[in-house]
Amino acid sequence: MESWVRFNAQSQAKERVFRAAQYACTLLGYTLQKGGASADLLTTIKHLEAHLSLTRKLMRLGNSAEALEAAKRAVHLSDCVLRLCITVAHLNRVMYFACDNILWAGKTGLLANLDQNKWSQRSFRYYLFALILNLTRDAYEIHLLMEREARSSSAKGSLSSPSPLAPTPENGEFSPSPFPSPASAPVPAFPVITARLHRQLRLLVSVLRSNPPLLLDLLKNLCDVFIPLDRLGLYPTGTGFVGACGLASSILSILTIIHPWLKLKP
Amino acid sequence: MESYLKLTNQSQGKDRIFRATQYACALTRHLLQDEPLSKELLQKLKSLESNLSSGRKLLRLGNTLNSIDAAKKNLQLSDPVLRFCLTVANINRAFYFICDNVLWARNIGLIHNINKENWSLNATRFYFLSLIMNLTRDAYVIAQIMVQRSRDRQCQQKLNQHLSESPDVAQVIIPQLDAFLFLLIESLKSHPSVALDTLKNVCDLFIPLDRLGIYHTNAGVANFCGLVSSLLGILSVLKPNFKIKP
Repeated sequence: MESWVRFNAQSQAKERVFRAAQYACTLLGYTLQKGGASADLLTTIKHLEAHLSLTRKLMRLGNSAEALEAAKRAVHLSDCVLRLCITVAHLNRVMYFACDNILWAGKTGLLANLDQNKWSQRSFRYYLFALILNLTRDAYEIHLLMEREARSSSAKGSLSSPSPLAPTPENGEFSPSPFPSPASAPVPAFPVITARLHRQLRLLVSVLRSNPPLLLDLLKNLCDVFIPLDRLGLYPTGTGFVGACGLASSILSILTIIHPWLKLKP
Repeated sequence: MESYLKLTNQSQGKDRIFRATQYACALTRHLLQDEPLSKELLQKLKSLESNLSSGRKLLRLGNTLNSIDAAKKNLQLSDPVLRFCLTVANINRAFYFICDNVLWARNIGLIHNINKENWSLNATRFYFLSLIMNLTRDAYVIAQIMVQRSRDRQCQQKLNQHLSESPDVAQVIIPQLDAFLFLLIESLKSHPSVALDTLKNVCDLFIPLDRLGIYHTNAGVANFCGLVSSLLGILSVLKPNFKIKP
């Protein structure tokens, strides 16, 4: 009960719950439509989804100021790549929220003759840019961590003293190479590339396993990116897939609110 | 900017802002009712008001648990009057939120076979009872502060000085009443959180009184009271020292 009260007190947490409910409705609507459910039930779900969407738009009023403040803070980061990615991502979020607010005004009838489709496309464009920058940041963080991990593992390898039983070049014994020497035959490129890829993949898995916040942020952004891609017609995936991605992303977001240590910093 | 972010990050803060806007819309609509050339504006205000109202209903989903948790906490209070008032107030709020959630589901179309009017009246009734309990608590706290102040030597000197300063007024007004009012004002001055809570609850009281037909006021008064109460609510969220404890 205590954790629920604490969770419920945050407006971002409530927004995430409503987002999860909205995408659950999208997914449910798609599933029921495929299953041939009654039109009445489908209408109710559509109505609920639209209501959740509109309320979330209302809740996001004023979030531009928050994103702007976050951009201001990100400007002071020491790492230039992080500074660029995070600041520009937040500025795109500012623009996305501004478009979203205009859309809300259009939907409530405050701006009667607003081209809602145009503004919706515009808002999704900014949202997509923000997500691409967030994914770039994730990729950069992963790259840094992989480099560090590779360096530390190679340092460990060089520091660990060779076993007296292990064959060493000093006593004239060499470990048998899996590949023939360059003198005898040319090295086939494919096994080398495969081995390197395998090593990189192992390194990636190791890095992500040891950094749950980064893994969570990456998964969340990957799920989110399909939504604007579908809405903008860049990569149409269908309502069901969009609903599933939105729901997964919302649940991951809720997880980062419940457990703040899972939130990626900065 | 900092205080604005602090306000919007809290569910209660956002709800208060939306409530203030909702009542501001309703008040503006009431004031512009007889104005010509404002048909379109009135329509927009009505649309915005209903959007804010349904949005706030959705925002309040799950608040029942908050009220139950608050009631549980209040059971631990040592003062029996405070324990009774606050626990009963929170239980009534829990019932109010339940009715509100049912009404929300009805508005959305999730539930069809319920009497909207009945549930709306029940919600208002529970809200009214909750406010009555909160006002009783305020009166009790004020009485305690006044007793405390009356025993205070410094306050007694102030009171005597006040009564001797205006003997002609004291003859017209009953001295006991004058002393009581002086003590009341002094008590509220020294405890702004109690004064704010009392004022907020008094303002809020006019809304259910009007809806239940117990004391009819016009829409303008009810909406103005709602707006004032919301602004006081925002103030207590922004400045936690203005929030009455427990």
